[in-house]
Amino acid sequence: MRKYFFLFFALLNYNILLSQTYYVYVAAESDDVVSLIKFDGKTSKELNRIAVGVMPTEIEGPHGITVDPNGEYWYLSLAHGNPFGSLIKYSTKTNKPIGKTTLGLFPASMQVSKTTGLLYCVNFNLHGDMEPSSVSVVDPESMTEIKKITTGSMPHGSRISSDGLFQYSVAMMSDELFEIDAISLKVTRVLNLENKTDHSMHNSMNHSSIKPTWVIPHPFKKIVYIAGNGSNEIIEVDLETWLISDRFKTGKGPYNVEISPNGKYLIATLKGEGSTAIWNLENKSLLKIIKNSTTVSHGIAISTDNKFAFISLEGVGGEPGVVDIINLETFELVSSVNVGKQAGGIAFWKISD
Amino acid sequence: MKTLKLILLLFFIVFNTFSQQKTIESNLKNHKMNLGDSFTPISFVVDSDGKKSDCSRMIYYNKRGVFSSAKSITVDNETGTIKANEPGIHEIVVICIGEGGKRLSRTFDVDVKYPKVKEINLLIKKDKIYSGTYIPISYEVIDEKGFVRNNVNFSLKSSNNLIEIDAVNNVKAVKPGRTILEASFEGITGRINIDILKNPVEKIKLTSNLNECRTGDVVEFEAIAYNKKGEVIDDEMPFDFSFTGKSFDKSNTSSGIIMNDGRFVGDVSGKYLISATLGNVSSSKALNVYDRNVKRDVLKVGTGLVNDKHTSDFWVFEGVDGRDYAVTGTWGADGTSYFWDVTEPSNIIKIDSVQVDARTVNDVKVSEDGRICIISREGASNRKNGIIIIDVSNPYDVTIISEYTKNLTGGVHNLFIYQNHVYALSAGQKYYILNIEDPTNPKEVGVFELGKDGQSIHDVWIEDGIAYSSNWRDGVYLVDVGNGIAGGSPSNPVAFGNYNYATGAHHATFPFKSKSTGKFYTVLGDEIFPNGIDVNAPNETAGFLHFVDFTDPDNPFEIARYELPGHGSHNYWIEDDVLYVAMYSGGVRIVDISGDLMGDLYKQGREIGYILPGNKNGYIPFSTMTWGAQLYKGHVFYSDWNSGIGAAKVSPIKPDNSKVNQYLN
Repeated sequence: MRKYFFLFFALLNYNILLSQTYYVYVAAESDDVVSLIKFDGKTSKELNRIAVGVMPTEIEGPHGITVDPNGEYWYLSLAHGNPFGSLIKYSTKTNKPIGKTTLGLFPASMQVSKTTGLLYCVNFNLHGDMEPSSVSVVDPESMTEIKKITTGSMPHGSRISSDGLFQYSVAMMSDELFEIDAISLKVTRVLNLENKTDHSMHNSMNHSSIKPTWVIPHPFKKIVYIAGNGSNEIIEVDLETWLISDRFKTGKGPYNVEISPNGKYLIATLKGEGSTAIWNLENKSLLKIIKNSTTVSHGIAISTDNKFAFISLEGVGGEPGVVDIINLETFELVSSVNVGKQAGGIAFWKISD
Repeated sequence: MKTLKLILLLFFIVFNTFSQQKTIESNLKNHKMNLGDSFTPISFVVDSDGKKSDCSRMIYYNKRGVFSSAKSITVDNETGTIKANEPGIHEIVVICIGEGGKRLSRTFDVDVKYPKVKEINLLIKKDKIYSGTYIPISYEVIDEKGFVRNNVNFSLKSSNNLIEIDAVNNVKAVKPGRTILEASFEGITGRINIDILKNPVEKIKLTSNLNECRTGDVVEFEAIAYNKKGEVIDDEMPFDFSFTGKSFDKSNTSSGIIMNDGRFVGDVSGKYLISATLGNVSSSKALNVYDRNVKRDVLKVGTGLVNDKHTSDFWVFEGVDGRDYAVTGTWGADGTSYFWDVTEPSNIIKIDSVQVDARTVNDVKVSEDGRICIISREGASNRKNGIIIIDVSNPYDVTIISEYTKNLTGGVHNLFIYQNHVYALSAGQKYYILNIEDPTNPKEVGVFELGKDGQSIHDVWIEDGIAYSSNWRDGVYLVDVGNGIAGGSPSNPVAFGNYNYATGAHHATFPFKSKSTGKFYTVLGDEIFPNGIDVNAPNETAGFLHFVDFTDPDNPFEIARYELPGHGSHNYWIEDDVLYVAMYSGGVRIVDISGDLMGDLYKQGREIGYILPGNKNGYIPFSTMTWGAQLYKGHVFYSDWNSGIGAAKVSPIKPDNSKVNQYLN
């Protein structure tokens, strides 16, 4: 009897595993839409296409997207306004907007700290003069921008340390890594990624060679990894010593970089060649480069169970954007789904049975 | 039974656990500060049982955010101090971050005390005050720190009974003589002497330049004051002009507008009575206002359907071969522009296209000689955007000459071509001026920007060497780029005029020299989407055209509007005192703007006709969303977001046999 009992529960668990469904949001910058993608482990489909912005005849450019740690809300940065961009708060239940605040020029990537509950969004100022821009800190509860913290030129890749106490971003045109204290809301450290001796904040409006576009803190270790989009490399920075501890070459134009929640894999989109690279973080060995299903690979979202990576692909011109889904056990592309044009920001929402 | 007890016990534990409502307490509550003081708050958490606990970390912020007003209270989260910079009640949000990232927040009002009032200044805006008239007074309250205090509820009193003060502090002169008006607040009193003159007016004679008119006609009333001796009073008297009226249509209300100088315009046909008053002396004059009767038939004659993508702007031009052509852009699509033969407006033929790396070609323009076309790019895959220059000498076989992206990577939303120069918007912030004498090698020669934080621009239009840029909240800027009025040139653009208005929605400008009056206007269009968007369904639009009299560039003033109820304005064209305006969901509206302009032009019955391009085979079937209009060789051409390009013909004026206006000279 006991044997059948265990067999029954084993089958039940197996079925639950089989029926797990993954949900991600992806923003299409040239269509002013956000798509909700559903993936059942084998096939994916666009569950919902949500029109965003307020001006139907102006491209407002949804760029960054993130889901809050509780999964109740998603946040979207609209790059273009008059001229400042904005941050919109949506309910994951209804996918309807429930709050808005104006940020800086071309607000882009962002994340909510699980500790402070605040949202930290870089003002990319992609097309502005080569001058220091900022990180906007927003209280998502009241949707108030509570502080603009000056950082470097074209800041991008806003990511929070696993303890929620520090925010990291890189300045694409001044080759700098910035660390912000998530409580005091002040820049605590700046690192020149070219290993120059002068680490002062606003002096380096030099022509960037590294063009860092993303930074991701390790989930357990005091390390961050940076995508050197111009130098075709991943840069490892030791947060204890605040020094570059390693550099390793990639394919052309690494753009976004993420680490699986279990800390095993480092994944980077190679924008210039339309592919995605996966490294084993234990020995930093390249596991595989996977050709994406269209061009201009952009963002990465990894499922919380470490099983799948969701890659957004921009495409060119009138081509649709695409979300590619990579199995992180077999390192194979297992599914693709079309979304709006110039798919960029992508955020993992949840796994449900 | 045991199970029941266990369940009850569990319920009790769970209920008690979740009933522990926690709240933040802080000595910020009811806290008062003096200007310039710093304060380090002490905040903690209290549960429903009154048990206190500390937060592992606290964050404070001014609820007004980072906007300029937020400097009223500044917060340093490193030291945990707040500083009072401006008087008033300010909201400070306290965030308590507990263990495991659980957060609580609460807002506290902090009262930064106003410094003591130092002085109250009173100012009268008229030279002479006559008995029987209201006195226009303004007040200014300044405190010891130099802050001007608004919304002060004064106590007013006068030194005698020569003036009356009502419950809301309106002051009326009732008897001649001298009085002192006192305004008091917080123990400080400001005073002003008022000399009230006896009303010398015994009689008012009211005359007008017309005894009857059409709706929309501006009638000039003149009031002449006479004294007891029957002599004309030469002084400029502060008459109050007003009107009453009854519509000819029993179910309609009369409507109009009258200005302080006596100009009146009636919106609705009817009998009006215009009055001029000074104190207790008044005079009235009747005016019959008849329908304007400008309606004409407007017939759609041809369509160049684009229904697989949205259509954006367009331009109709005469080709080097003498035939007529048009170019249209596309929106949120694949970077295609279409070229059309429109020589026969009833037979619009698609003849060629170009596709560039972009998602939106928002704007298209063609040079005066019909040889060069420029198109804007947004959403290029390499994010370089910029413009594309096209040889359209043979519109049946157009060829791309060059691409130009320097300083234009942020996307070009609108552009213009004028005398071998391209004016291209950059990232919605400024415009660059490119010399394209050699179209294979454009050269940047100038740039115009406002040079202020948050500068923003939507469109630029050039006429007679003057660039009219539409700068959203900063309004229109008139910039000399070769006219000579301010010594400007393409390489040295010089701004010499500006006008802005409250909504900040200024999206497009068309300069308009009235043929019938000689007055010069800039017609400023809004773009407003009050309810956001749905790209696959009809959208609600709002906003209107502001007519700004720019005859004196140093003193522009807004005098009229064209507002179509329920529909918002987009792009437009003016020729021979007729306005052709794309009102998005309201289609193209053709409006008589002849004569002097004042008030609400739509209400005045100035609309000649309209075109609704909604097409059953459109991108969104039957949905009108008209982008722009252009009068070209007697036809009204238009582009529509959902149906492409079209042409219509306005029928000649029909003879009026209705005898409705038989009494009108």
